[in-house]
Amino acid sequence: MSLRTVRWAGVTLGALGVGLTLLFHWQVFFWVPTEASMGIVQRIFYIHLPGAWIAFLAFGIVAICSAVYLWLGDDKVDQAARAAAEGGLIFTTIVLTSGPLWGKIAWGTWWTWEPRLTLTLLLWFIYVGYFMVRNSTDNAERGKRFAAVVGIVGALNIPLIHMSVQWFRSLHPQPVVARPDGPNLHPDMLTTLLTALLAWTLVFFSLFLFRYAAARLESAEELRALTRASKAAGDEVPVP
Amino acid sequence: MRRFWIGVAAIAGKDLRVELRTRERIAAMGAFVVLTALLFNYAVDRTAVHPREIAAGLIWMTMLLGGLLGLGRTFELEKEDGAFEGLVATPLSPEALYLGKVLSNTLILTLITALTVVVFAIFFQVDLSGNPGPLAGVLFLGVTGFTALGTLFSGITAGTRMGETLLPILLFPLLVPLVTFGVSATATLMAGFPATEILGTLRILTAFTLLALMAGVGLFRFIVEE
Repeated sequence: MSLRTVRWAGVTLGALGVGLTLLFHWQVFFWVPTEASMGIVQRIFYIHLPGAWIAFLAFGIVAICSAVYLWLGDDKVDQAARAAAEGGLIFTTIVLTSGPLWGKIAWGTWWTWEPRLTLTLLLWFIYVGYFMVRNSTDNAERGKRFAAVVGIVGALNIPLIHMSVQWFRSLHPQPVVARPDGPNLHPDMLTTLLTALLAWTLVFFSLFLFRYAAARLESAEELRALTRASKAAGDEVPVP
Repeated sequence: MRRFWIGVAAIAGKDLRVELRTRERIAAMGAFVVLTALLFNYAVDRTAVHPREIAAGLIWMTMLLGGLLGLGRTFELEKEDGAFEGLVATPLSPEALYLGKVLSNTLILTLITALTVVVFAIFFQVDLSGNPGPLAGVLFLGVTGFTALGTLFSGITAGTRMGETLLPILLFPLLVPLVTFGVSATATLMAGFPATEILGTLRILTAFTLLALMAGVGLFRFIVEE
């Protein structure tokens, strides 16, 4: 895909995504009926769940791109992995802020060891580790490979972590957790949720494409600077 | 295939011989676990909770923190004088290098874990006589899973500027299954239940350890490659 196409796709997806984001915020604030048992606070759910969906989607992309990068060694795939990880970190942060805000009112506490919340926190730390590894090597190529390994091992481990947080919770019952999910959702609630899901998926992919294009421009510029430098050096001292 | 295992044994043998002569890591880790157990005595309010009741968790945390101390230095020796490049340049495959390191780390950490358990038994009157065999098995499985993942990540952190500081950040989120199921199995056994009670958790611990070993064998190549 040429950079021009990437940028156009990014702009289109971004415009659609932002438009839908505005629409679903209108739905959340003015249109959708208030949930009976939890009241107004349930509306956080419409940004919480799409955030979580993107967080895990992004992690899948990171793992797949990382594996392909180690296999083929193509820099573009690594740039895609990095772009997805950046998006994933943002949406994981959204989940981790909206979750406790909701929990404080719905459950009466900022934090419970609710399996999905715990899993998201661990996911956030894996993302943080991914970037710390990337940015703390002197050799950029090596940083990419290290980060790819972290991304893959993290993804392999997610099912086991999921099992343990589920299991741990079953041993330690929490206060009754009312959750607004399940198939018996009011049709308007479902519409709002689906709008929000679509909106943020588009926003995520738009951000993903922009970051990917930016990374490609950066590496192209680095390459040019390197060639210039070696040429300038070549004029004075012949490089063997 | 035979050459491969000879390579694994050579790496493990070299590390253990160095350790036997310097005793640096064992001394540091050993002192660490004893002192941690000592501090736990003051950290836990013994009138409110008896340490015996939470001994399984404390033993595992002491083992992990002490192990971290040693795992972080897995490639410390090789960092000097370009020894690592030399090791990579030998006909030895990266997989053999990884497994050799896992083997030596596991043996050292098993020793440290045994010390931890004995220290807890003495300090906190933890009763170990109920199921010594299965208990040792669970702890050994945990140690192997921990070193399998830890050796891989130690190879990564050795190549970064942050070094060992980065190791817990990478490792701890992934150790959740190990701690959850390991502590549960240990606590069940310490409470005197038969080993048949922990078959389910044992299966997940084994899955974790095998997964960690496979990931290490499959990915270590990309860490050492220049």
